[in-house]
This record gives sequence, structure tokens and C-alpha cells, in this order.
Amino acid sequence: MSQPPSVLIVEPSADEREVLRTVLARRGLQIWEAAEVEQGLALAREHHPDVIVLDAEAQRADEVEARYGAASAGQRSSLIVLGRVGRDCAIAASQTIAKPYHFAPLVHKIEQLAAKAA
Amino acid sequence: MATLFVMQGRDKGKRFDLRGEGITLGRDGSNRIQLNDSEISRRHAEVRRTSEGIVLADLASSNGTFVNLEKIGERLLKNGDRVQIGRTLLLFTDADDRSSVNLAHDVDIVGLGSASLAGGESGNVEGSRILKSVSHESGSQLFAPPDPAESPWLARARSNLQVMYRTALAVSHTLDIDQLLTRILDLIFEWVETDRGCIMLVDSETEELAPAASRNRKGARVDGKMSISRTILDYVMQHKEGVLTSDARDDERWNPEGSIVKLGVREAICVPMQGRYGIVGVIYIDTYTPPGQVIQQRAANKFSEEHLKLMVAIGHQAALAVEDTSYYSAMVQAERLAAMGQTIATLSHHIKNILQGIRGGSYLIEEGLKEEDNDVVRRGWRIVDKNQERISNLVMDMLTFSKDREPELAEADLNQTLADVVELMQARAGEAEVQLALARRDDLPQFRFDADLLHKAVLNVVTNAIDACEKRAGGRVEVSVEYQPGEQFVHIVVSDNGEGIAAEDLQRIFSVFESKKGSRGTGLGLPVSQKIMREHGGDIRVESTPGAGSRFYLELPTNVSSGGAPVNQTE
Repeated sequence: MSQPPSVLIVEPSADEREVLRTVLARRGLQIWEAAEVEQGLALAREHHPDVIVLDAEAQRADEVEARYGAASAGQRSSLIVLGRVGRDCAIAASQTIAKPYHFAPLVHKIEQLAAKAA
Repeated sequence: MATLFVMQGRDKGKRFDLRGEGITLGRDGSNRIQLNDSEISRRHAEVRRTSEGIVLADLASSNGTFVNLEKIGERLLKNGDRVQIGRTLLLFTDADDRSSVNLAHDVDIVGLGSASLAGGESGNVEGSRILKSVSHESGSQLFAPPDPAESPWLARARSNLQVMYRTALAVSHTLDIDQLLTRILDLIFEWVETDRGCIMLVDSETEELAPAASRNRKGARVDGKMSISRTILDYVMQHKEGVLTSDARDDERWNPEGSIVKLGVREAICVPMQGRYGIVGVIYIDTYTPPGQVIQQRAANKFSEEHLKLMVAIGHQAALAVEDTSYYSAMVQAERLAAMGQTIATLSHHIKNILQGIRGGSYLIEEGLKEEDNDVVRRGWRIVDKNQERISNLVMDMLTFSKDREPELAEADLNQTLADVVELMQARAGEAEVQLALARRDDLPQFRFDADLLHKAVLNVVTNAIDACEKRAGGRVEVSVEYQPGEQFVHIVVSDNGEGIAAEDLQRIFSVFESKKGSRGTGLGLPVSQKIMREHGGDIRVESTPGAGSRFYLELPTNVSSGGAPVNQTE
């Protein structure tokens, strides 16, 4: 039996992690979560998630994106960045979602990217 | 750091950092320095870094680029240079200009012992001898009333010097432009026998003269509204010269049918306020002597060439002061706007995060209801509830911080206030896996304090203590009271065994919007607690060991007056 699509949530807010974890797990996705970037990076290296949801305010998103890219070499994850990204930020995210966002479209987007990877 | 600061124009108050390469100025959005000015070209000028310094180059603009009123192609900028493009005036400053030079290499203080300039009884100062010394008071005697035996020329020169000296003193250190102009007029009225005076300043937007201050001599015959001849004003502005007209019909420059004659002004002085880089306005004074009085007094003109010269000098001095005051006002305004912008940005960030939490919780409730899953509904509700509490705290902290108010002091039970805080925070402590305890003191008397405010002050400190211990093994926060009868202060102590605070952060934690808690902190909690304790006449202090924990002491005076100040118990 194949593994379910996986999502890594890197988000400092415990509330937002809980919301996404609860909803996505009920949709059959495998969830990893981290409150800060270094921990998230370690999880990305270990599990190569299909989708990474990253809070842009945690650290400079372009740096993180490059580092996640390297971490999941050959098995590039789709990246969704939450929050405002500066115009000088050379980010290659699949999707950038400004804060404050609504959860329904975000969950829908995660499901779409996860389904594509599966 | 080199900057261009907008002193005039629609972008007044903005400061542009000149770090980096390829900095262009222009109307277009593609410029690093975009200016809202229709008289500026799309790409107007460029700032370049060279080995000699920072160079400003015009990029074949339609209306040209000016440095200190001089049209330039390319110019090495010096600290204090004024750059005019279109209607926008910018001030160039470069803080590195001199700061990197170590003056200790250029200046030596030689000799032994204390720096007594008298050099002991002999008056020797390292090989030199003091021949004469003059105190500050004696220096002012330079401007003493002239000796009657002195030559008239010297007496006049001395008197004029006194006027200029006092003008310089009077116009310095004034940041209020209205106050500055009033002072200038007051001084003029003191020294020149004039009936009316007016200062007109050039409006930076319209470039037209507009009255900014006026004054009439007490008891002078003044015919209602002051009318000032446009002929005089135009002449002064165009020729940048002061003019004296003591009798309009005798002065060839004025047409007998002109406005001076019609206005009936017998004597007037109008001088430009010539600043460093242009005319900032004019000073106009006039006096009227009715024909009968002239015959009766056989009066010579009240205004002389000497007066005119003095007024020109005063005009120049006043203009420098007006320029400085405008500059400082713009700086203050810019700082104020920057602080306001920073405050709004910080608060918006917190509100946005809270809103995000509320949306998340609502979404969970919606999902739970849809699937009739009470567990999901409960989780959602807990998140909503927590975030509505966060926004409520934020608003209350903002209100407490922004208002100066006197605490409503009343006899109250300190144990009860602390117990309320601990009870309220138990749920949060449980969530953070922190043990929260209150060490009650049953021997405490009633103290006078504002129970609501003190509750808030302690609550903020306890919240931080719980956050500092969150998810740490054996995390514990204790609230206790240190008090000895007869002591001036009772101490509420909030101690934790959390992560502690680094020595370099200890002072910063009481600064507004400084938070070490990331998105969880607003940076208002401790400043609010400190404000509340100080309003009670007490204070808050902290001891901390990084890695081991912190102790916050909230000092509350045991006997406070209604004004919040401690009362001396011996009285």
C-alpha cells in the first residue's frame, strides 16, 4: 500500500498548526509540524514531504526556500509561503498567501498540491 | 550614513538612505528615490559613489538639478548641501564625514595634574603666562551703553553690535516658528521707532509671500488692517535688497501714482530675509507721521540709512533662524511620523496574528459542525476563546499605556488580587505544562492600591513567567509577597525557573514593543506593568540568570497619597 501524501507545516503559531493538523489529518494526509525553521529543516531532510507550508515571518523566506530545496534534493517539495514576501525576496514558492488568510482556500490548495504529488 | 532628507515639497519629512549603488531620483516608480513632484523628470538625477565621495549627477533633466542654488551637471556633495530638483528641496547629510577621524591624533592636552587654567599663583600655563582674563559677565560689557565721550561713529557701531548680539541670542534655540517671528518683531520694535511691523514668509508650495507675524506699536495710530505695498515687496524679492522709503514722492524709484503714495506711507523699510540658499521672506516696518506733526516737530525722518543697514543684518540673522527652525520642525515631524508608522505597523502585526487565530478557530468550528464532530468544535472554540482574550488584553494594554491616569486608590486585600491573577492564569499554566503557585501571606495588612490596575500589572508579569517556562521540564512559577511591618514598600515577587533573560536584554524588556516572545508577545506587557507600578509611586525591577530563571519585584508603596506618591510615615 502506498504512503499517503505528506505535508510539513512550519509555523510558529500553535493555533494555526493545530487548525491545519486537525483538518489535514482528517483528509488522510500525513502531517509533520515544526514551530521553528531549523526543526522544520530537519524534518524536511528526513521525510521529504510533498508539500511544505511555511510561515514567511519565521525567517527570510528565500533563504529558507533555498535551504529546503537543497534538503529535499531530487525530490523537490511544493512550497506554500504564508504571509507577506518582500519584493527583493527571490522566492520560488508554488503559492504565496498573504496574511490574514482564510483557511478553506489554503486547505484546498494544500490538497491540490498533495494530490499532484501522489 | 549618507542620507537625503526632504525639507520642502510633497515628500517633506522623508529621509532617503544613500547606501548601495545606482540610486536614481525621479518621478517614476523605477527610481530608488521616487519623488511626488510634477516638475521633476521621470529619471532626473543620480547619486554615485566615487573614491572622493558621493556625487550627484543630473540626468539631462528638463528643469535641471541645483546644489546650493547653483545648476549642476555633476557635483561632489558635502555635508549640509541643499539639493533642489523641481519644487523639492533636499538636505544632504553624511554622518561619516568627520566621525571616522580620531581627533585624539590632532589634539593633545599637555601638562600635569588638574586642569586648572589659572596655573597656580604664578599664572604659568605650560610655558605661557595668562596676561588677562575676562569673565562671561565682563564680556557682555562690550555692549554697555556708549561712553558720552566716545566718537558718534563708535557709539553707533557699538549700539548696532549690541542689537545684532541680542538678535543672535534671541533667535537661537527656538523650535516654534511663530514664537521665533514674534521675538524678532519684539526686538525690532525695541530698537527701531516703528509703528507697525510684519514678517512675511515665502510659502514653500506656492512660492508666494504670506503674512506670518505682525505687530503694532502700543498707542500708535493704526488704520485697521495693515496694507503693504506690493511694489515694495516685489522690488525687495527681485533685487534681494533692502529698501528705505522715507518720502515716496522724493524717491525716484516709486511712481507718484504708485501704491506707496496711495497708501500714504511716509516711511517704510522692507528687507529681504536672506537665508543661506535663498530668500525665505521679508521684514516690513513702517511709521506714519501726520503732516501736522511733521511741521510741529520739524521732525527729520524717523528711519535712516543706518536703520536700513541694521534691518538688513537683522533680516539675514532672522532668515538663518527661520531656516534652522523649519529644518528642525521637519525633522521632528519626520521622527514623529516614523514613530507613528512603526507603532501602527507593530500593532497591525499583532492584530493580524490574532485575527488569523480567530479565523482558524472559526474554521475548525465550521468543519466540526459540518461533520458533527464535537471534538473539532471544542478545539475550534478554544482557539477562538484564547484569541478573543488576546485581543482584549492587547486593547487594554494599549489603553493603559497611552493614557496618563491616576490610580484609583482604595484599601484592598493584596492576597485577593494575587489569588485572582493566579486563578485566572491556571488554565494557561496547565496548557504550558507549568506549575503556577501562590504563596499566601496571611499576616498582610490592607494596602492602598488600584486593584484593577495592580491585577493587570501582576497578570502581565505572570503571563511572561509562564511563557518563559513553557514546556520546560519542571517549569514552575511562584507568586509571593515580601513585606516587613514598617517598611516603605511591599514587594510582589514573581519568580520562575524558565529560560532567564540575557544581561544585555534586561533594560530593553521594559521598552515598548520590545518582545523576546516572537509572535506571541506584543511588547506592551512589561512597559504597562512598569507604568502601573510607577503610577502607584512604586516600580518594577528584575533579577535574572540565563538558563536558571528570573525574579520580578513589583514594588508597591505601603502608604501612598491620592497622587500615587509615597507618604513619609514619620510625618
